[in-house]
Amino acid sequence: MKHLFLIAFRNLLSHGRRNLLLGAAIAGATALLVFLGCLSSGVKFTVLESATAVATGHLNVGGFYKVTAGQSAALVTDYKKIRGIVEKTLPDLDFVAPRGRGWARLVSDEGSMQVGVAGVDMANEPRLPKVLKMREGKLEDLGKPGNVLIFASQAKKLKVKTGDNMVFSVLTARGVNNTVDVRVAGVAEDMGLMTSWNTFLPQETLNRLDQTNESVTGALLVYIKDMKRIPRDIDLLRKALAENGYTVMDRSAKAFWLKLQDINREDWTGQKLDLTDWEDEVSYIMWTLTAIDGLSFLLTTVLLVIISVGIMNSLWIAIRERTREIGALRAIGMRRRGVMMMFVLEAFCLGAMSTAAGAVAGCLLALGLNALNLPVPQGAQFFTMSATLRFAFEPARIIGGAVIITVCCTLIALIPSFRAARMRPVMALSHVG
Amino acid sequence: MRTKIGCVPFFFAVWMVFPGSLAAAELGKADMVEILKGIDVRVKSSGDYKALVYIEQREKDKPDVAREAIVYRRDADQKLMILFTKPKTEAGKGYLRVDRNLWYYDPNVGKWERRTDRERIAGTDSRRQDFDQSDLAGEYDPAYVAEDKLGNFGVWHLKLTGKPDKDLAYPIVEFWVDQKTGNDLKRQDFALSGRLMRTSYSPKWQKLYSQSKKADLWYRQEIRIFDEIDKSNSTLVLIQSVDLQPLPENIFTKAWLETKSR
Repeated sequence: MKHLFLIAFRNLLSHGRRNLLLGAAIAGATALLVFLGCLSSGVKFTVLESATAVATGHLNVGGFYKVTAGQSAALVTDYKKIRGIVEKTLPDLDFVAPRGRGWARLVSDEGSMQVGVAGVDMANEPRLPKVLKMREGKLEDLGKPGNVLIFASQAKKLKVKTGDNMVFSVLTARGVNNTVDVRVAGVAEDMGLMTSWNTFLPQETLNRLDQTNESVTGALLVYIKDMKRIPRDIDLLRKALAENGYTVMDRSAKAFWLKLQDINREDWTGQKLDLTDWEDEVSYIMWTLTAIDGLSFLLTTVLLVIISVGIMNSLWIAIRERTREIGALRAIGMRRRGVMMMFVLEAFCLGAMSTAAGAVAGCLLALGLNALNLPVPQGAQFFTMSATLRFAFEPARIIGGAVIITVCCTLIALIPSFRAARMRPVMALSHVG
Repeated sequence: MRTKIGCVPFFFAVWMVFPGSLAAAELGKADMVEILKGIDVRVKSSGDYKALVYIEQREKDKPDVAREAIVYRRDADQKLMILFTKPKTEAGKGYLRVDRNLWYYDPNVGKWERRTDRERIAGTDSRRQDFDQSDLAGEYDPAYVAEDKLGNFGVWHLKLTGKPDKDLAYPIVEFWVDQKTGNDLKRQDFALSGRLMRTSYSPKWQKLYSQSKKADLWYRQEIRIFDEIDKSNSTLVLIQSVDLQPLPENIFTKAWLETKSR
């Protein structure tokens, strides 16, 4: 085997220019795959990071309350009891954060915008101080009633800064217009597209705005230590809540606000709980990951087809050039399998070296762009979910991509290699050309 | 001097015949209720009602948007339909109220959505109440504020507070009612928190004889609404071509609106 590797490697070197060009094509395709993979991973991590800070826990115990059959609100009543069940049920629980949920019009002297409002109790939010980077003001001030935390893009649009006053205006679940006056406690750095429409209010202030009492929250955001356990934990919670007499809705992979219309059509009143994971709550933006992954698959497939044709062509030429050599090797006792392995290994070596080089190049390119912290135009932020271009590195994904391309290169070499192995020594030796 | 409750029928009769005659006196609660009832009765049509409506919306940093719609009403059954006809992007969209439920239809989506009865119409500052009959006397408790002047008009300034059992978009309303005609000329709507949300003016009122009612039907020909929260926003509503002829029986149905939307 060692000899076969040596022969294959020397053959590659002996046709340097041709193999260099082919190797560059393979390396280019691998670099593209790795680059797009890093971009997709970057988007995924941005979404995970901003979503789990702003809108969702690793999993959520949300729910809907209907006063009448036609009017629902995203509310969980008597949430402390449900919190107790969650804490008792989940073995790997990190912490639980009750969050109010709502939509309101936020109005400053200079403008207005429709925003999502998260009602928080800072005593229950150990994660927020770690993930939110303050541009101005203090996050701790969010603990004081009547304060609001907004993000940089919102501050820019509303033309406000820390200490300025604004008004939240809302139509409550009972259809009554209500307002609260708020003061900007601080402005946090943007964390992707989601933070362009989300704000934080103290839970007490949100209750005052929505006219709800303190036993009510929007959802319990549940953070666990091992995210791989999410499906198992959801099953455990579903069982525990049902045993405690709660009605739990069937699983639907949609954000809570996308379910409101369907729930309004349903003929029931009272409380129903809804269990979701973080991916369900951001499903409306996960298309961007699907789009990037689809694009990389399409591009890589096209490039792989072109490379495969190149490899086959290159091997056909090599076989034709080395027909007498094949005859000689067969004549001195090399078996057909050996001849086939010799050519397959040649393609394998070419593929392995090129994909390794391509993967390194792709990673270096992604690293370089990461370091540059390139701003993304507003329109493209729908794809990147971030104001700056961000790449992330998942070793399994990068190595997997390189291995797939190497395997493809090797497999495509089987056809010409098999033909070479089937040559009769006499015919091969007498070959002229 | 407060008007005595026992004299209310007399004063109301006098006010109906000579609306300006009470101008000098402070109003008692019963008088104010009668004023509100007077408005409710005047704008209520016992038969059918159809009107062409223009809604012009002005918002900061956005181009003005003008919409044309047809409003259909059958007050006896509390039915209402608003069908947008212009511009092209809005044509076919509509609201339908049946049995206290307000439905919204968008032909682009092809689905009906249940909406709150108190939401903004087409995202403007106008509300369903601006196009519908009113029940001021049933929904609000009035309080006297002052006798006032609005331009050249002598007006009663009243403060209305929503009755506890009523879910109202604006729990507090201030009203300026023309002493001579009994029509409301200005209205300020307040949120539950007490913050002023919008001010609307109804400077032009028109009347039309209704055969079914055997009396005049009054309607606001022009409503100017100013957003008091987002001060740069305003909406102008023009109500024209009011027709009190009977409407087809099947008009207040989802199917009818869908056929008109195609």
